[in-house]
Amino acid sequence: MDFNEKFAPITKGLLEFLVLKIIAADKVYVPDILQQLSVTEFATQEGTLYPLLSKMRREELVDYEWKESESGPPRKYYELTAKGRTQLRETMEFWQQINETVKNLGKK
Amino acid sequence: MNKVITINLNGVAYQLEEGGYEALRAYLDNAAHRLEGNPDKDEIITDIEQAIADKFRAVLGAHKTVVITKDVTAVIAEMGPVEDATKGEPATGSQARSGTEGATGAAASEPGAARRLYRIHDGAMLAGVCNGLAAYFNLDPTIVRIGFVVLTIAWGAGVLLYVLMALIVPVARTPAEKSAATGAAATAQEFIRRAKEGYYEGFKSWNDKQARRAWKRKFKQDMRGWSRDLEREVREHAHHWTPPWTQHWPPHSPSIFGAVFIAPLLSLLLFALLLALIYSLYSLVTVHAVLGVALPPGIPLWGGILLTLILFHLVAWPIKAARYACYYPAYHCGHGGPLGGFFGGLIGLFCFGFVVWMLNRHVPEFHEWLVQLPGLLQHLGDSLHDWWVKR
Repeated sequence: MDFNEKFAPITKGLLEFLVLKIIAADKVYVPDILQQLSVTEFATQEGTLYPLLSKMRREELVDYEWKESESGPPRKYYELTAKGRTQLRETMEFWQQINETVKNLGKK
Repeated sequence: MNKVITINLNGVAYQLEEGGYEALRAYLDNAAHRLEGNPDKDEIITDIEQAIADKFRAVLGAHKTVVITKDVTAVIAEMGPVEDATKGEPATGSQARSGTEGATGAAASEPGAARRLYRIHDGAMLAGVCNGLAAYFNLDPTIVRIGFVVLTIAWGAGVLLYVLMALIVPVARTPAEKSAATGAAATAQEFIRRAKEGYYEGFKSWNDKQARRAWKRKFKQDMRGWSRDLEREVREHAHHWTPPWTQHWPPHSPSIFGAVFIAPLLSLLLFALLLALIYSLYSLVTVHAVLGVALPPGIPLWGGILLTLILFHLVAWPIKAARYACYYPAYHCGHGGPLGGFFGGLIGLFCFGFVVWMLNRHVPEFHEWLVQLPGLLQHLGDSLHDWWVKR
């Protein structure tokens, strides 16, 4: 069975949560995020990530600032807003609940 | 040796090979189309362009200053399709898009990857109708052929349907048309076609004036670009362009001249010939004579009609071939050479005659129209004459 195919909606839905988590750890720019995700089941591409980040910024979950780089033009570094932090905490709690449910269901 | 096009990505110039340039532009057009209505559209496009620029920079070096087409397609594949996060589109597995049988089916249901109905000559038995239908509906051609035979035996409709389709449905000639006939995977051409189709969808779905204006502006811009591309394409194929009847012309005579000036003239000539054919057929049927020359005794009416058709074909075919060579210099020798085209045209003409004959016999309105046709032509000629005199 192809899990990637079957769980595509789930990985897609969880992507925002994981991006929040990555940005919470450190100020990052898009290639960092892609690189961190690339080794996981949630590997994605610029074509998906940029529109997602724009949406999250519009919802005031993240914000960015421009930083100079040694090679090439300035880069956008993303960070969480207060609202983003709240959302991340709430999502984490919900995720814990789901994990518990998955673990406990069907147990005798 | 390939032509290079310089582009500007967020203020930095990059040199791309031509094919790569087209693929990139189609990708960006497609992205813009998908983000239509998104409040952050411009910003996302800028981000995407910046990311592409970064990737290009990684490819280039001191001894490599041009991004070749292969690099561009690799970068585009790496970027992945742009998905609008605000629209909640279903996840279209980006990796499932290349080539397998199942993926073609999925791609066909996706808007913008629609197939086109063409006649396909490769592997065809007659005019390629069944072959094209089979490709369109993803069936075995043999099954479609059997279906036509059954239709013919049961109601006689199969032949008529076939003839009509042979007349109406165009033949897939260029590689792009051939891949559209089978709904093949996304090549650069497919990208461009999808982007073009995006315009029409965009026109349909506009709501606010601003988006509409933006569309219009972009459409005009790109149309200009495409016409430039077309001209260039025609120019590049100029050296292929040596139709048999112009062998003595200088070999460098630009083919754009043929496409722009000669082809319309040939078309007019063909049209005049066609009118003459219709008129002779009509007078043959009504008074059994053409231009005062009566049918020789012993030759039946249908024989006369057949003779006229063949005569017409003998005259018209070289003109058609020449016109075709003007438009498609590169494919001028395809499909079994000129002779193949000759017999194909002859069969088409007979089919046309057959349809007219059937309609004349079974559809009273058509018969009436046919009877009135010479009068109509006369009227047309008179009004043209009046116009000419008044001028």
